[in-house]
Amino acid sequence: MSASGLDARVTGQLRYAVDAERPGMLHAAFVRSPHAHARVVSIDATAVGADCVALTGEDVADLRRYGCQVRDEHVLAAVARHVGDVVAAVAAPTPRAAREAADRVEVRYEELPAVYDPVEAVEPGAPLLHPDGAHSAGEAVSIGVRPLAGTNACHRFRLVHGDVAAGFGDAEVVVQRAYRTPSAAHAPMEPHAAVAEWEDERLTIWTGTQTPFNLRADLAVAFGLDEERIRIVGGTMGGSFGAKTFVRQEAVLAALARKAGRPVKVVLDRAEEFVTLNRHPSVIRVRLGARRDGSLVAKELDCWVDTGAYADCGPGVATKLGYAGVGPYRIPHVRVDALAIYTNLPPNGAYRGYGAMQSIWASERTMDVLAAEVDLSPLELRRRNLLRDGDRFATGEVMHDVQFERCLQAAADAVDYERDPRGKGLCVLLKGMQTPSRAAISVQRAPVGYVIHTAATEMGQGMRRSLQLLGAELLGCEPGQIEIAAPDTDTSPYDTRTTSSRTTHMMGRALEEAVRDLRTNSNERGYGEIRNEGGLDPDSGQGIASTHWHQGAAAARVTVDEETGKLTVDHLHGVAYAGRIVNPEGAALQNEGALLMGLGTTLFEAIEFADGQVANANLSDYNLPATGDLPTRFTHEIIEREGADVHGLGETVLPPVPAAIGNALFSLGLDVAELPISAERVLAAVDARRERS
Amino acid sequence: MSAVQWLEPRSLAEAGEVRAQRGAEATVLAGGSFLGILMNQGFLSPTCLLSLRAVGELRGITVRDGELCLGAMVTHRQVERDETVRRDWPALARAFGIVASPRVRNQATVGGVLADADYASDPPAMLGALGARAVLRGPTGEREVAIDELILGFYQTCIADDELLTEVRVPPAEPGAVYRKFRSRSSEDRPCVAVAAARSGGALRVVVGACAEMPQHYPDICALAAEGPLDGAMAREIARRYAERLQPLTDARGSAGYRRRIVAVEVRRALEELGGVGGETLVRGRQGGTLVRGRRGGTLVRGRRRAGP
Repeated sequence: MSASGLDARVTGQLRYAVDAERPGMLHAAFVRSPHAHARVVSIDATAVGADCVALTGEDVADLRRYGCQVRDEHVLAAVARHVGDVVAAVAAPTPRAAREAADRVEVRYEELPAVYDPVEAVEPGAPLLHPDGAHSAGEAVSIGVRPLAGTNACHRFRLVHGDVAAGFGDAEVVVQRAYRTPSAAHAPMEPHAAVAEWEDERLTIWTGTQTPFNLRADLAVAFGLDEERIRIVGGTMGGSFGAKTFVRQEAVLAALARKAGRPVKVVLDRAEEFVTLNRHPSVIRVRLGARRDGSLVAKELDCWVDTGAYADCGPGVATKLGYAGVGPYRIPHVRVDALAIYTNLPPNGAYRGYGAMQSIWASERTMDVLAAEVDLSPLELRRRNLLRDGDRFATGEVMHDVQFERCLQAAADAVDYERDPRGKGLCVLLKGMQTPSRAAISVQRAPVGYVIHTAATEMGQGMRRSLQLLGAELLGCEPGQIEIAAPDTDTSPYDTRTTSSRTTHMMGRALEEAVRDLRTNSNERGYGEIRNEGGLDPDSGQGIASTHWHQGAAAARVTVDEETGKLTVDHLHGVAYAGRIVNPEGAALQNEGALLMGLGTTLFEAIEFADGQVANANLSDYNLPATGDLPTRFTHEIIEREGADVHGLGETVLPPVPAAIGNALFSLGLDVAELPISAERVLAAVDARRERS
Repeated sequence: MSAVQWLEPRSLAEAGEVRAQRGAEATVLAGGSFLGILMNQGFLSPTCLLSLRAVGELRGITVRDGELCLGAMVTHRQVERDETVRRDWPALARAFGIVASPRVRNQATVGGVLADADYASDPPAMLGALGARAVLRGPTGEREVAIDELILGFYQTCIADDELLTEVRVPPAEPGAVYRKFRSRSSEDRPCVAVAAARSGGALRVVVGACAEMPQHYPDICALAAEGPLDGAMAREIARRYAERLQPLTDARGSAGYRRRIVAVEVRRALEELGGVGGETLVRGRQGGTLVRGRRGGTLVRGRRRAGP
């Protein structure tokens, strides 16, 4: 049953990027900056040893800047912009020898002023990380990038709907609040790993990546090669959650292999994971205006989104965060201003939910503050304003297949909210899918069934199983008769990437096309392709944010030890709208995983920095949720609708968890505005309540 | 490139000889759950490791003259699950059984956790409250030191370069000793504040762990308990004084100010639990091989639940 992608994990047959080997390969170790911002003055690699190869600045002088949305990254940094930035690399016969040789590379630095907070980073006089500006890049960008010249803002996303000043003029009640979210680690079990090899001026990389074609395109830019001269072979990942996207360890590795003239492998250690890619810290200010009867009239969102030393997909995250923060509500006047901002922290990128959590946490907490002001139940306030079929969202899109009220009601019912709302909190959310994007797939007849070629990647989310189940239904065979070939840019048809809960939705439809095509090709081979067109105008936020909406809700019931601030989640319930479920077991696991990840984010996950240095770069000091952290009741449901499309659900119930728990505390008069909701913060909220009364 | 030298003596005598010869040059390795983290993170790069895993004499759990004797290489999991420990030193079984996860407890050892002297470990505070002594064996013989003599500061002990910690001796425990672990983050995290409280020979010992460089024990404050019944007022007063005296540290699990407040709460709660022992609600005994213990006003029942006393 190794084809299912499940049993092979148990038997050990499944090979991950950490298992990849090539004959004659060397092992790499990276030389990383100990400074958050420093110019490399000189590098002396003469002590590395005769059997080692050192890669320094002059070896990469011919390589160009690259980046998935902004071309701001260099293969090796001549100016280190975060602690852990790679300034040199070494290849050696063993990983240990490589590490020791890397430690013998002497680097002299000239330290530069640094900035670690996104709000400070856009104030006048802040040190600039990329003084020569940001340049939009690549087809991965679904929006035009709008840097603010002469500042650390690499992108500004604005949404304007109605006349927000007039809207606040009409408002009878206005609340304004600010909320903070820290950085967090994806912490997949398998770290970043890859092998790079050059043969006949052609580069092949075996790596764990969610984005094989984006990776190929970015490396083609860096190395000045035609994309066809680069081959990316992906395998199953031991978890990713957004961490293994775009170029990470691969560019340095490819340059090192080029110099060594041999294949080179790297496996990052856990501490390196914490300086490779994290989640965007953010500050979000919400202003919300309503009539006395609770009808919303105006909303303003100002978002400072910390993308770290390099933009990566920060512009996209700021955009999605910006419109998701509007929420699934009819609001006649809306203004959103979201900045993706450079700071001297490690780069931040895609993280399950892609920014939606940060702004949903802020916006949905503010809804409960407003509910108290207008003396309505938080459930009723939401009901009165929810988007319904045919309503227009703030982006100008007309909503279809709208299930927000159903999701919200299901969440409320799960905790018996209407009988007694004390100690309980709700959150309802809207988020979108990568748009525009393209997904192609091919089906080929094989002796025992069919082979599907796709660049969709498996990271434990069950992509293979879902395609097998869909394929079996369409082709009239057993799921086990369908082999899903590993993603390989030489043989897999194009796919934008495996992100944003889009694979089952997009690839599923592409597969229907492919099977139709197969039927007209004497059942031998078929090809299918689906495009979703659209995108938002970055200056007005108008256009098509998403061709299908992720809709969900969560409810929480909590108790608090008011002497210590220790919070106990007695019940956590997540609701996702699935349209039609393809793989019931996989869907349930995705929902549980997203809820649990949301719980960690809510209660204790935070990367701590001291002068830009990660202070808890290990899994003892950085806490992840363990079995013992599960709420006493941990439940979820997946809503279907007869005749509906397949909707994505890999992320949906993560973003609502913090606000649901935060609102449950708020129902007890405990107001916490910063994640994680630590015992210490809850105790401070207990004190604040006492002072108020 | 130099490989780490690996020394693996097969007996205590041999281990003692190697230790005496190599001294600090050979880093002593017990379960490796702590040393492994330090080595992985590059904080420690020993050139030579002295592993105690093949020394069978260090693996025993025995009772001698009423004292519990735990070999240095006994794992946390063994202490947690041992029938004798669970019956006669239940709070000790609890303190070892609440460390991290079973994966860690199967590896971490009694000797290791004391010799590491990590401020945020669970067992040292409980061992201190129970009046335990560590046995240090050197070329000229053995000496016994109390826990508060053994641990001198952050990762500092009084173990000499030619000595090995071979055993921990725990005096007979009076019923009702308490270990409270307050975690501010995950259930598998180390304590933010740990409180161990026990009575021996009529004297009260309260030891607060995880708040300072070593477990904190204030005999003069504990002596207050001799002046009256251990009731709510006494518990509050002792807790208040502990919180006042202690100089807590700040780490990711809580600020100094927060810890001070938690010490006041958790010491009081520990003493309320301890004070409950001897009262009418105590249920202590064996039932079908399982220890059943109830607490006044609490909900914790270790072992199998049953309908009533």
